[in-house]
Amino acid sequence: MGVAFVAHCLLNQNSKVGDGAHCAGVYSPIVDVLRARGWRIEQMPCPELAFAGLNRFWAVREQYDTAAFRRHCRRLATAVAGAIAARVQQGEEIVLVGVEGSPSMGVTITSSDPERGGRPAWPDGSPELTGGEGIFVEELHAELDRRGITFRVAGETHAIPGHDEAGQRARLEAVLEHRDA
Amino acid sequence: MRDERSYRVALVADRYVNPEPGQLDGLAVLAAAGWGVMQLPDEGYPAEVARPLLAEVAEQVEEFSRRGYAFVLVGERDGLAEALALVGVAVPDRTVPASAAELREFLAVQPAPPALAATAARE
Repeated sequence: MGVAFVAHCLLNQNSKVGDGAHCAGVYSPIVDVLRARGWRIEQMPCPELAFAGLNRFWAVREQYDTAAFRRHCRRLATAVAGAIAARVQQGEEIVLVGVEGSPSMGVTITSSDPERGGRPAWPDGSPELTGGEGIFVEELHAELDRRGITFRVAGETHAIPGHDEAGQRARLEAVLEHRDA
Repeated sequence: MRDERSYRVALVADRYVNPEPGQLDGLAVLAAAGWGVMQLPDEGYPAEVARPLLAEVAEQVEEFSRRGYAFVLVGERDGLAEALALVGVAVPDRTVPASAAELREFLAVQPAPPALAATAARE
């Protein structure tokens, strides 16, 4: 058991980009697993909410990869890393639960399209998913590395083709238990 | 895809998100009532850890407030009022519930969020 630092939207779907909220408020499939396993929950800030607002467009990683957004993410990452460091000092294990496919909160899958920009219209099914971390997770990872803090990661997978809650749950449980899924 | 958001956000003290055994599970009540949760930093954090986290909470509340989302405070947190004041937002309607029923009753009498009415008018 330990402390799960979770993406903001997992407790508050109101922070999602328009048309992105899967439920009214709390996304229980992730929360329920963490609580059933005795993990403490701590919510991270949403990097996109305060920076680009509630009326932001869907975007890929390249569109958020600006100097200003990275400064914003580094500020958030420093705040979150302070909390993580305090928990590590207490001997807690740390898991980051992100959002796969997110340009900011992806932990192993983010979204990428170097050409995207201009008038916001693109065909459904654009192949934007790619391996890697979102920008906030990348900045937090760097800050935790600087502090010598290790952690494991898991992700909410609604945006990933073939998503199913049983698979998502199994992967999260494997990460919590520190074993291969 | 239909967007399922409620336009309702509760700022919630940590003890209602991570309750001790036998204490009120505020997160479960809020989830069942369809409210989103913004968790406030654990009271056990030193000020130098909590202060920047509260500043980020306040900045996000400012955006929800500007866009007509409803928000309330469940519990309390030292430093929250000051953080909200820095972004020009007042402390919202508050409860410190001792029971699930008390929290449900508080949520039930909250007015409809202006953003919800605006969305309904567009549809």
